[in-house]
Amino acid sequence: MSGVGPAVRVSIESTCEKQVQEVSLDGMETYVPPLSMSQNLAKLAQRIDFGQGSDSDEEGVEAEPRDPQEWGKTEAEEDEATVKFQPSLWPWDSVRNNLRSSLTEMCVLYDVLSVVKEKKYMALDPVSQDPSAGKTPQVFQLISKKKSLATAAQLLLKGAEKLSKSVAENQENRRQRDFNSELLRLRSQWKLRKVGDKILGDLSYRSAGSLFPHPGTFEVIKNTDINLDKKLPEDYCPLNVQIPSDLEGSAYIKVSIQKQAPDIGDLGTVNLFRRQPKAKAGTQPWHVKLEAAQNVLLCKEIFAQLSREAVQIKSQIPHIVVKNQIISQPFPGLQLSISLCHSTGEKKNQRASPEKPKPDDHLYVLEHNLHQLMREFHKQTLSSIVMPHPASAPFGHKRQRMAGPMAYDKAEISSLQQNEGLLEKIIKQAKHIFLRSRTARTIDSLASRIEDPQIQAHWSNINDVYESSVKVLITSQGYEQICKSIQLQLNIGVEQIRVVHRDGRVISLSHQEQELQDFLLSQMSQHQVHAVQQLAKVMGWHVLSFSNHVGLGSVESIGNASAITVASSNGEYAISVRNGPESGCKVLVQFPRSQSKELPKSDVIQDGKWNHLRGPYKEVHWSKMEGRNFVYKMELLMAALTPCL
Amino acid sequence: MGVTCVCQLPLAEGKSVQQTIDLLHKKLEQLGAVKQGSFTVDCETYHATGNASGQPTKLLYVMHNSETPLSCIALFEGGPCLTADGNFDVLMIKLKSHFQNAKGHKVESRGSRYRYCDFLIKVGAVTMSSSARGISVEVEYCPCVVPGDCWNLMKEFMQSFLGPSIPELPSVFSSKPEGLYAPVDCVDTMTQYLEMFSKVRKQQVLPGTTR
Repeated sequence: MSGVGPAVRVSIESTCEKQVQEVSLDGMETYVPPLSMSQNLAKLAQRIDFGQGSDSDEEGVEAEPRDPQEWGKTEAEEDEATVKFQPSLWPWDSVRNNLRSSLTEMCVLYDVLSVVKEKKYMALDPVSQDPSAGKTPQVFQLISKKKSLATAAQLLLKGAEKLSKSVAENQENRRQRDFNSELLRLRSQWKLRKVGDKILGDLSYRSAGSLFPHPGTFEVIKNTDINLDKKLPEDYCPLNVQIPSDLEGSAYIKVSIQKQAPDIGDLGTVNLFRRQPKAKAGTQPWHVKLEAAQNVLLCKEIFAQLSREAVQIKSQIPHIVVKNQIISQPFPGLQLSISLCHSTGEKKNQRASPEKPKPDDHLYVLEHNLHQLMREFHKQTLSSIVMPHPASAPFGHKRQRMAGPMAYDKAEISSLQQNEGLLEKIIKQAKHIFLRSRTARTIDSLASRIEDPQIQAHWSNINDVYESSVKVLITSQGYEQICKSIQLQLNIGVEQIRVVHRDGRVISLSHQEQELQDFLLSQMSQHQVHAVQQLAKVMGWHVLSFSNHVGLGSVESIGNASAITVASSNGEYAISVRNGPESGCKVLVQFPRSQSKELPKSDVIQDGKWNHLRGPYKEVHWSKMEGRNFVYKMELLMAALTPCL
Repeated sequence: MGVTCVCQLPLAEGKSVQQTIDLLHKKLEQLGAVKQGSFTVDCETYHATGNASGQPTKLLYVMHNSETPLSCIALFEGGPCLTADGNFDVLMIKLKSHFQNAKGHKVESRGSRYRYCDFLIKVGAVTMSSSARGISVEVEYCPCVVPGDCWNLMKEFMQSFLGPSIPELPSVFSSKPEGLYAPVDCVDTMTQYLEMFSKVRKQQVLPGTTR
């Protein structure tokens, strides 16, 4: 800088910071000396408007006696006016104001307290009430008391209302909870789904494989028509179900076999005697209701299936479907009726029928089997459609799966597919049951009618639905050990009875009762002759001739007569027995020629040796013989004719 | 399933396939045989592809018989065979890359099924791509599965309606290692059909026999 020309003198002085107090005539300026720190603060403090924001407290403070000390700084009061002109110059204005007012309050409080404390200047005395003001008339007192009581009562009432409301709410909640828990229980046993704001359930057996088109839906309703005030009845249930009207009540399938055909007018009217479903303890009413409805549905399905088959199947005697009854003729003169009995709950006053249905009219076995067959049918449809199965073949019998790889031909495949309907099966079962019971009756009636020989029947306990067997023994009392010749095995099938004889002969009998009876009668008559043969062996007699079927003598209407001739051990006597199922027994005894008196002396046979010729026969009055049965009598006879040694 | 014998019937002189079949039907009905529905035997040919070059391509025949409606029989030419269920056809479509279907080679025999006591007689017209090529006659003696036991009986029976042109004992039976007394199965029948079909395929198209 020094190297550049003549230096220009620039004087630098600070700007006039201080206020000019006065300029003297000589131009001298006297400055106002700068404010010291404390002066500056005082100046700033002057700016604060202590009056602002404390107006609201003004009244409360006014009641207090004013103290000159309160305003220690009088000059501040005077300056207020000047400061008020610039209220919000300072950003902390509001804070300042509030601080100021609070300070004021504090000061006032402090002063009051100190004044009161020192008791020098001021004492606090209670203000004496105007005695006249307290003297209110009694009416007013009463009114005011009443008023206050009313207020209190109102309060109490309000509280009570709140309480009762909450109690009701609680109960409502509990009921709701009960409904929900019931619903949960219902859901664990039945299929439910929500449609709109309704809860619908499924009664049908569709998920089990049924193809019955009935929807079988029921609706779950909340039981709300109960009065809260009343005590809940014992069987109250918050959940109710509404089942379709056609599934109400109870139903069952009745299967019966009647001997004679009732007149046509009686068809289709089945006595509906109602069996009230007994509720087990601990089950919900809805459960009982739903189960009954489901049973009705199943019965209806069975009946629909049966009647469809009855119409479709062509049999020699067509099946008749009338109203709720299916009539079929398994055997001539016999009627199998399957009827659907459905009684709704309302029809309690069923007409008292003159002919009370006998309880044994029912064929419970068949009814049960019908249900079982239906469920089997369900299972079949289910397993063929729904069940998991190998990709190569339908789920089913293993033989069915093997039909392809093993190259089964048509005949074998058709034997695998059983396409017998429900009705056919049940008719077959009915036939078998009927045949079995008729056989039993035939044997029993024979056994009770004929005492000699005895018939014993041993029924097997375990039967097939289409076949059962009975073993028939024909014996004589007291001689069971030696007379065991006739043992018959009767295999009772559907249409016929096969008799297997002890020696292996097989005889087929038809369903006609008479055939079996005749056969047994002929067997019994043969038994007697067999018994004589056995007895002769035991007694040491000789069998001279024996024939099961004699061709001589009167013709029997049942079977053939059988005959035997036995000779005593020394050959003197001979007994000849002819026994026919119808003609009965005829016993003849041949005496030695020597003993016969009435025999005319012949001229030809004079010689003594001819005495050994057989003599004439004499019939024994068999009924007059002593002894309890035929074999016993025969034993006595033989014993009598046996020579004493 | 009994012993079967499949043979090709030569055409009667001056007769078409259908006329010859009608003639045979008439003979059978006179004999007392009863018509029992119809039958079909078909055979599709597959070429095995993708094998090493140089080897001759093996042929696979897939056959169906209406007598065993659920089964499907696959035979290699002179080789192994298998019996499967109906899904085998679907499997063959999946195996397209290994076995190619020779479309024009489908041979079929279709006709009526007659029963005469224990015998089943099936007279069919063999068609190949919708042209009748010949007549097949299958005779089955149902009660017996041992060819050695019933061949003479079958021969005698066939004589009664086929006349002098009765077939020899099928080679399937005679070529078995166990001899004539091994039980037969459905593969034997199908092998006979296959042999007959290949014979028909080789022969020239008969003039004027299209139906």
